[in-house]
Amino acid sequence: MIAAGSQRLQAFAAEWARRRQGEDAHAVTLQRRRIYILPTRHGLVFAAMLFAMLLASLQYAASLAFAMTFLLAALGLVAMQYCHNNLLHMVVRFGGADPVFAGDEAVFRLTIENGADQPRLDVSVECEDSKAGPVDLGSGASTTLHLHRPTAKRGFASLSRFSVATTHPGNLFRAWTWINMDARCLVYPAPAEPGRLPPAGTSQSGERAMRNREDDDFAGLRAATPSDPPRRIAWKAYARSDQLLVKEFAGGAEQPQLFDFNTLRDLDVEQRLSQLTRFCLDAAEAGTAFGLVLPEETIPLGSGERQLHLCLQALALFAERP
Amino acid sequence: MTNLAANTTGIARLSWAAGLIAAASLPHWANLPPWMPAMLIGCILWRFGARILRWPLPGPWLMRLLTLTAVAVVLAEFRTINGLVPGSALLFVMLALKFLEARAQRDQLILSLLAYFLVFASVLDGGGPLEGLYLLAFIAVSTLGLLQVGRQGTLLATGPTTRIAGKLLIPAAPIMIVLFLLFPRLPGPIWSIPGANSSATSGLSDSMSPGDITSLGLSDEVAFRVEFTGLPPPASQLYWRGPVLTNFDGRSWTRPVGMRRTVEETITTQGEPSEYRVTLEHGGRGFAFALEMPTAWSAQSRRHSIRMTSEYQLLIGPTDLRNDRVSYSVTSYPNHRAVEPLTAAEREVFTRLPSDSNPRTRALVASLLEDSPDAATIVARSLDVFRSGDFFYTLTPPPLGRHTADEFIFETREGFCEHYASALAIMLRMAGLPTRVVTGYQGGERNPIGDYHVVRQSDAHAWTETWTPEDGWIRVDPIAAVAPDRIALGLTRGGAAAPSTLAGRIGNLTLLRQAALAWDAVNTFWTDWVIGYGPVLQRSLLEWLGIERPRWRDLLWLTAGATVVMLIVLTFWLGRASRRREHRDPAARQFARFARGLERRRIEPPGPGETPTAYAERASRTLPQAGDDIAAIVTSYLRARYEADATGVAFRELKSRVGDFRLRYARASS
Repeated sequence: MIAAGSQRLQAFAAEWARRRQGEDAHAVTLQRRRIYILPTRHGLVFAAMLFAMLLASLQYAASLAFAMTFLLAALGLVAMQYCHNNLLHMVVRFGGADPVFAGDEAVFRLTIENGADQPRLDVSVECEDSKAGPVDLGSGASTTLHLHRPTAKRGFASLSRFSVATTHPGNLFRAWTWINMDARCLVYPAPAEPGRLPPAGTSQSGERAMRNREDDDFAGLRAATPSDPPRRIAWKAYARSDQLLVKEFAGGAEQPQLFDFNTLRDLDVEQRLSQLTRFCLDAAEAGTAFGLVLPEETIPLGSGERQLHLCLQALALFAERP
Repeated sequence: MTNLAANTTGIARLSWAAGLIAAASLPHWANLPPWMPAMLIGCILWRFGARILRWPLPGPWLMRLLTLTAVAVVLAEFRTINGLVPGSALLFVMLALKFLEARAQRDQLILSLLAYFLVFASVLDGGGPLEGLYLLAFIAVSTLGLLQVGRQGTLLATGPTTRIAGKLLIPAAPIMIVLFLLFPRLPGPIWSIPGANSSATSGLSDSMSPGDITSLGLSDEVAFRVEFTGLPPPASQLYWRGPVLTNFDGRSWTRPVGMRRTVEETITTQGEPSEYRVTLEHGGRGFAFALEMPTAWSAQSRRHSIRMTSEYQLLIGPTDLRNDRVSYSVTSYPNHRAVEPLTAAEREVFTRLPSDSNPRTRALVASLLEDSPDAATIVARSLDVFRSGDFFYTLTPPPLGRHTADEFIFETREGFCEHYASALAIMLRMAGLPTRVVTGYQGGERNPIGDYHVVRQSDAHAWTETWTPEDGWIRVDPIAAVAPDRIALGLTRGGAAAPSTLAGRIGNLTLLRQAALAWDAVNTFWTDWVIGYGPVLQRSLLEWLGIERPRWRDLLWLTAGATVVMLIVLTFWLGRASRRREHRDPAARQFARFARGLERRRIEPPGPGETPTAYAERASRTLPQAGDDIAAIVTSYLRARYEADATGVAFRELKSRVGDFRLRYARASS
C-alpha cells in the first residue's frame, strides 16, 4: 500500500521533472537545476538523533553538548552539499545497446564521465527494475555501466527514463537526476523452435537444396572478407600463416535461399516473423546466402553478419515503421 | 578508473567498530561500576574470537536473555534509569551487547548512533578543555566510520577517507561556530525532570543548620522567573524574602509556629515601587518569594490565595502545591521601613539563645559593648569582626562542632552565607538586639531574550534582620560586608574564591607552577567562554553585533539565515571544483556556457576528441537557423583562446556573443 503510493508519487515527480527539463540528447551534462536531493532513511534517523541531542542540550544547558550537536548538524549539511556536488557537471552518454531477441534482456550501455579534478564516489545508474553500480570515478575517469530491461516483443525497447544517483558521503542524502533520453534497443522477433524446414519453393534450385546437407566437402581456402561468418574462418591456418582465410566447401552448402513471408500460410503474422527469424539464423549459421521477401520490402540475397542483421531488423520492424 | 576502493576484510570493519565503541565509552569508565567496562571488553573479545577462532556467538534467545539480565542489573545497581549516570550505564550496556550481534549495515548504523549518544551523554554535565578536545577527536574519527558505514561499495582505503572526512569537517567548523553562537539559548531547562528536585543540592527549607553541610551543591535549577513591568531595581536590592527563622537551639535555626499579629500596616514606604510578576517553578511549600518589602500582591489563579506572615513573609495557599507552576503579581518598595512594635515578651523571644553555647563569642561581644554603644554601632562593630579577620567565602567549608559561632569566628573562618548570617545573628542577640535570620534568594540573572529574570536555586541566600525601636526591622547582610562585589553583581554563588586551585596546591616550583597557572588560565577561559556561553554572554555578543533585545524567534531566523548563506558560499566553492578541468580558462568557460545553452536544444556537448569547429558544424546541422551565430562564436572563441589577446577585445566579443546567443536560442525545445 505504502510502497505503491510512494511509487506513484515517484512516477508523478519524475513526470514533472520530465516536463520541466524536456527530453535529453544522447549526452547530458548534469546541471544544478536538474539534480534533486532528499535525505535517505539513514539520514532521517541521523536527523532524529540530532533533534534529540538538541533537546537534551537545551534541557541541561550544556555548552559542550550544544557544540557536539551543532558540529554533527553542520557535518550533515556539508555532506548534503557534497552529495549534490558529487553529480554536478558529470556527463552521461548513451553508449548504445546491442540488438537482442524478444524475451531476452536488452542491455543499455551508459557511459558516465568525470571531467573534474575531484573523484566521484558511489555513483550508480538505475531504472525501474535494474541498477548498475555503485562505481567510483577518479579524476578525469569515465566508466560504462549496463542497465538491463526485459523485452517482451519485437520492435524497439526503450529506456525511457533512468536516474543517475549517489549517496556519497555517508549515505545521509541521496542526490539523483532523472534522464529522459531516447535510448533504444532493437529487439528482433523471438526465433521459432528449430525443426521446420524452409518451404521447398523458396530455394532457387531444388535439386541442389536436396544435396546440401550431405556434401560438406572441404574444397579449399580463400581470403576472408568482412561478411564471412567467423565460424568458417580457418583458425588453424590463421595460426600458421597470420592471414585470415575462410574455408570453402564444395557441394552446394551455399545454396542461396530466399525466405518468403507469404509462403507460411498456416501461421499468423508474429509466428511467421518468428519462423523467418529462425530460417535466417539457420541460414547464417550454415553460411548459406539468404534473402527475405516481405510484403512491403525485399532484402536481396547476401550472407554474413551484416545480412543477418539487415534481415532481422526488417523482421523486427515489420509493420512498425510509420 | 582509479582504485579508490581498497579491498578490506571483515576484520578491518570489525576493528573500526570496536575502536569506535571503545572510544565512545571511555569517558564513562570512571563513573560506572567496574563490571561494565569489563563486560564491554568481554563482548569485544568474544566478537573477535568468533571472527578469528570461530567461537560460537550467542543466538537470538540467549541475546534477549543477556539484554534483559543487563537491564535488570543496571536497575538493581541504580534503582532507576532516570538521570545521567543510570541512563549512560544503560546505553553503555546496550552498546556492548549490540556490538556482539552487529552484522548488517543497519546494525552498524544503530551502533554508530549509540556511540554518538554515549559520548554526548558524557558532556551533558559540563566538561573541561580536555573533554572538549576528546570530543572533537572522537567526532573526527567517527566521521571516518560514518563514511565507511554509509558506503555502498567496498570499504574505502584510509587515505581517501581521511581526505573526504577533512573536506567535510573543515567547512562544518564555521557553521558549527555560527550555530553555537547564535542559536537562541534559554535560561534554564525546558521541562523539569520529575523527582530531580528531591536531591540534596538545592532549595530552601524550614530550617538551617550551619556547620552540618560541608559542601553546598550549586544547582542551576530554576527557582522562579520574574517579569518586571518597569525597570528592575539594581542587583544589590534584589533580596527575595523567604522563610524567616527565629528560633535557635544552638545548632539549628527554625521557623516560629503560629501568627503573632498582622504586620502589613507597619510598613511605610518611600520612593518608587517595583511591580513584577513571579512564576514559581514548583509551588513547593507555598513560599511566595517577593522583593523586600511587598505592599500589594495577588495570585494569578483564583485557586490560590496569598497572605503575609507576622515575619513579612508571603505564603501562597492552599498549602500543598507540589509541582504546580504558580504565578502571582507583587508590588514592592525597595525603600521601606518596617516599624513593628515589639512587646517585651517578643523582644525576649528574638534575643533568646542557649545559655551555655559559644562562650568565646560571648566574650567577644562583651568586649564590643564596653562603652555601651547604640544599636547602629553594635551592628557596625559586629560586621567589622568579619571584615577585618581573614574570613573566606567558600562553598566547601569544614564541618563545625558544638559551638558553631565560636569555631566559625575564631577557627575555621570559612563558610557561605548561612555561616555568616548565623554567626552574626548570634552576636547581635548576645548584644541584646532582637535579631532573626531571613532566608531567600539574592540577585537573579536577566534573560535578554525573554526580558525576564531567572532566579536559580544557586542564588539561595541567608541574611539577618535586627530590630530597633526607631527604625523597626533593618536588614544586615554580612556577605555584603565581607564580599560586597557578590551582592552588587548578584554573584552569591561562584566558587571563584576557592583556595584549593591547582596552582595553590603546587606552591613554589616555578616551572611547574607556571605550567599550572597557564593550565588554570586555559581552564578559566574555557569555563568562562565555552562552558559558560549561555544567555548572558550571547546577549553581550548580540549587543556588540548591534542587535538589541532580540526575540528568540528572530534569533532562530538569524541563525538559519547565516547557515544558509554559508552553505551557498560552500555550494559555489564546491561547484567550481566539479567543473571540467579545461574550463579554468575564461574563454573556455564562455564556450562551455555556449555549449550548455545548446544542450537545452538537445545538442550533445562536445565529445572527448571533438574540436570546436567540428562541434559547431554538428550544432549547425541541428540548428540551421543559428548557423551564422554559431560560426561567429567559434571564430571569436578560437581567437580569444589561442591568439595573443592582450587587450581582451576578442574575449569581450566572445562573451557578448555568447550572451546574445543564449538569449536568442537557448530555450528548451518544446
